[in-house]
Amino acid sequence: MSEVTDPVAEIRDLRVEIDGHAIVDGVRLRVLPGKVTALVGASGSGKTTTGLALLDEYPPGARVTGEVRRTGDGPVGYVPQHPAAVLNPARRVSALLDDLARPQVRHLPRAERRKAARALVLRALSDAQLPDSEDLLRRYPHQLSGGQQQRVVLAQALLLGARVIVADEPTTGQDALTKSRVVAQLAAVAARGIAIVLLSHDLDVVRALADEVLVMRAGRVVESGPAKRLWTAPRHEWTRRLLDQQRAAVKDGRHPKAGQPVLEVRNLTAVHDRRTTALHAPRLALHPGECLAVVGRSGSGKTTLARCLAGLHRDHDGEILLDGTPLPRSLRHRSRAQLAAVQYVFQDARAAFDEHRPVLHQVARTAVRLRGIDEREATAEASTTLTGLGLPAELAHRLPGELSGGELQRAALARALLARPRVLICDEVTSGLDTVTRRGILDVLAGLVGEGEKELSLVLITHDLDTARLAHRIAVLDAGELVEQGPVRRVLTDPRHPFTVSLMETTERLEAGTRT
Amino acid sequence: MTTHRRFALGLAMVAVPLVLALAGPLFAGDPGARGVSFTLGGGHWLGTDFVGRDVWQQVLLGGRTVVVTALAATALAYLVAVPVALMSALTRLRWLEELLMRPLDVLLAVPSLLLILLVASMLSPGAAGLALLVALVNVPDAARIVRAAAGEAAARPAVEALRMQGESWWRIAVGYVGRSALRTLAADAGIRLTGVLYLVSTAAFLGVGVAPDAADWAVMVDRNRTGLFVQPWAVVVPALLIVALTMGTNLLFDAALEKKPIRKKGRRP
Amino acid sequence: MSGLRSFVARRLLLGVAQTIAVVLLVFALTEALPGDAAVALAGDQPDPARIAAIREAMDLDRPAYERLADWAFGLLHGDFGTSLTSGRPVTQYIVDGFGPTLLLATLTLALLVPLGFGLGVLAARHEGRLVDRLVSSVTLAVYAVPEFALGVLLVLVLALKLAWLPPTALGYGTDLLAHPAALVLPVLVLLSRPVCSLSRLVRAGMVDALASPYAAHARRYGVPGARVRYAHALPNALAPAVQQLARTVDWLLCGVIVVEALFVIPGLGTVLLNAVAERDVPVVQGLAVVFGVLAVVLNLGADLVAHRLTPRAGVAA
Repeated sequence: MSEVTDPVAEIRDLRVEIDGHAIVDGVRLRVLPGKVTALVGASGSGKTTTGLALLDEYPPGARVTGEVRRTGDGPVGYVPQHPAAVLNPARRVSALLDDLARPQVRHLPRAERRKAARALVLRALSDAQLPDSEDLLRRYPHQLSGGQQQRVVLAQALLLGARVIVADEPTTGQDALTKSRVVAQLAAVAARGIAIVLLSHDLDVVRALADEVLVMRAGRVVESGPAKRLWTAPRHEWTRRLLDQQRAAVKDGRHPKAGQPVLEVRNLTAVHDRRTTALHAPRLALHPGECLAVVGRSGSGKTTLARCLAGLHRDHDGEILLDGTPLPRSLRHRSRAQLAAVQYVFQDARAAFDEHRPVLHQVARTAVRLRGIDEREATAEASTTLTGLGLPAELAHRLPGELSGGELQRAALARALLARPRVLICDEVTSGLDTVTRRGILDVLAGLVGEGEKELSLVLITHDLDTARLAHRIAVLDAGELVEQGPVRRVLTDPRHPFTVSLMETTERLEAGTRT
Repeated sequence: MTTHRRFALGLAMVAVPLVLALAGPLFAGDPGARGVSFTLGGGHWLGTDFVGRDVWQQVLLGGRTVVVTALAATALAYLVAVPVALMSALTRLRWLEELLMRPLDVLLAVPSLLLILLVASMLSPGAAGLALLVALVNVPDAARIVRAAAGEAAARPAVEALRMQGESWWRIAVGYVGRSALRTLAADAGIRLTGVLYLVSTAAFLGVGVAPDAADWAVMVDRNRTGLFVQPWAVVVPALLIVALTMGTNLLFDAALEKKPIRKKGRRP
Repeated sequence: MSGLRSFVARRLLLGVAQTIAVVLLVFALTEALPGDAAVALAGDQPDPARIAAIREAMDLDRPAYERLADWAFGLLHGDFGTSLTSGRPVTQYIVDGFGPTLLLATLTLALLVPLGFGLGVLAARHEGRLVDRLVSSVTLAVYAVPEFALGVLLVLVLALKLAWLPPTALGYGTDLLAHPAALVLPVLVLLSRPVCSLSRLVRAGMVDALASPYAAHARRYGVPGARVRYAHALPNALAPAVQQLARTVDWLLCGVIVVEALFVIPGLGTVLLNAVAERDVPVVQGLAVVFGVLAVVLNLGADLVAHRLTPRAGVAA
């Protein structure tokens, strides 16, 4: 059918060059009305540059050749990765919407304009799935939730009468339930005959939404075609690799030996600001050599649980036992051996490094402080560990600012491992990384479980069931309550708690690639 | 104006009063006999002042107090403000933070010159007293700014990562938090020195911390005003020197801080 | 909106604490006089009759807390005590000096806001071009210069050499409005620093806002340039500017004292300086309380306005 429709926008042989270095080269793209065209690739593959070219926007100082044609008369809408950035923090939500509606009512008599403009605004909001939003218009952007912000930005594009909407990573860092809502929203927009250009490294979402897929790598399109064909019969090696990395095999029932757990939680109740209860976990145990995934939506208390274990969150009751002995609540009261035994890896690796000191030096400090070995020996060990995790020595000598997110996350893992921990807590260490980098980190983690004579145990905090497949057991948190826990296979195939069931269903729907 | 040219201009502007202030007293020589008030010529290059002293000699002598007092006051202000700010940024004891910062908030409301005049009306502070006073009125603001920068650094996961590594409090406070606040501190120091120069010279102009016939540029402006019509040099030269000193300091720091580009976060893909 | 209410409550509480602190500070400084306060205050000619009179007038024989209570109680009723040198009530001094000072301050503030914002917006509109470079360089340079040095040079050029304006307000009494020419130089000098700092902040805020993703987004969707500048970018530059206005209060109070001394204007600043010179403690205390409380109140107002205007980032839960 797409052969008979004319494209609303078209890119031919686009080449964007900065300082003589091409960031996009030879890209061709046809955007069809009512269809979703997805640009897929790792970060830095040139998909954002291509998407912005449709808006006639290029990075500063760029040399552009090729042709970008828009046949439709309507402008191109844009929904950026962080919608909050394009919402004016000092003005109410209505400010820009009113400015966009005003020119469209100019033909009316002056007295009727205001009312007509407001009606247009409300219709656009309701089309973006924000019905009855009179009240919302009076609010400031910071008073909206992330989802509402995204829908307001979408409503701006709809109000403008955009024929094409470019959506940049609309689901990055979201849990399955939120993701499926975004997918439904974009599908509804496409159903209205608007062309959507989806820039994403989230393959589940692409599969659920896209009609056409272009796979990009290093500024070039390596393969393109209908989504179905691409998934069933990828032609290019890179596409095959990209799709391959989707799924890890579920761990078999090899349950680590029972006996004394290395870490045990008893009647843990954590509070925030001395009042609000953020988490309640009656019992949770981690055995030597075991990998436990803690799954939940954002705000479910999973990070609080991790921080309690690590001694970073002091406001809690109950006990945390290491080898049967209670651990002090605060880091400050933990002995060196206790500190070394439970290590923590932060979500934002960049923020977790001192930007003034070389990575290698910072990694080595763990061994110096917690194991008391001398500086030279520690540096040598740090170097070996970093190389083992896939970070070349020449990168380790640089400052954190010169490393990529994935490289820094490897360094952060090395920093924790140099303590020779018994338990390693990883808090969303792969969120915000692209598929290829994420798979790399997950492979490293899978290799670490049960390592060494101490049989390293892993606690994986994640919102992503895909990551959870790596684990032996899964614990599910919802609104601060530990609602279910059990072996990975059982939880994934036979979830018992209603929340787990809905989480599983949404994830499966996304993966099956059906639009909801 | 490009940054380089502004830097050069600031440097040139500051150089004249600074050299005069610091080296001037070495070349001033003996005070000659007092002559007639407010004359021009008569062996006096810049004429005589309100009590008949040689204006050029007074100019050579009169910069040191302003410059030294201002530098001492700025240093003193940070000597108190930085430890207070670091401690309050890093402590997890709520009451200690309140105890350190609240009194400063209260002090911040009192207009600085008013406080100085108030003290001056009771005690007659000398140059050292004036430096202390000016430092005191600068502590709250300096502490607040350093505290904000340090607080931002202290809240980063990097600090928790350092604690996780078993690093000592000192190493975290000085090695990481203090170092992260350094850039803000440098920017603030320029603004603060300018403000302190303003306060010190204005106080001297109003007669605080100096003798009524002291050799001081600000005092010269005040005392020789009555002869402005007959002998403008006794006012114009010290006034211009103060203008050059304050203006130049400000231009210099502004250009110097702009020169350092903010390091790019992350590598280009 | 409980966040707003709790902020206002906390800020008001701080204001009250600051007011009390000012009163206590003013009182405590008198207590800090070394030795016998009466002797110290009598100055260079300690004649016994004068010392006794001072002791009597200030009730120095009574314990400090009683005097503090009396004085603070009097303040609440508008009774600031009596002058040591003239025996007139301090309130009289304040009433006499209030007119000229209020006139200076009002004129300055009335000109400061349009001038500061106008220059800031002008520079931001022409960012990087000649107008901007000119405005930015001049404001940066003048910003740091003490009023007395600038004032004396302006007097020399504009009043003495060119004879366009009177050099001082001497001889005009308190009715300055009848002699507007005498007000030009004082107001000009008083404006110099605040205008510079305000316009620099407005410029910086505008430049940031114009380069922001939300301004780009508005332009992308065809909103006209002027509307992007004034309706979308300017509101983001308001909050820091108002915050700066609050800090300018401190400068204005300092500036008023200097300018009144420089141009011989019989306002509160001159009264204060004379009292300081004569060590007339009750007058100094009274004026310090007036200035201090004024600063606290103006700061409080500006903070509340700035809080209302401050754009907040982030996401609601």
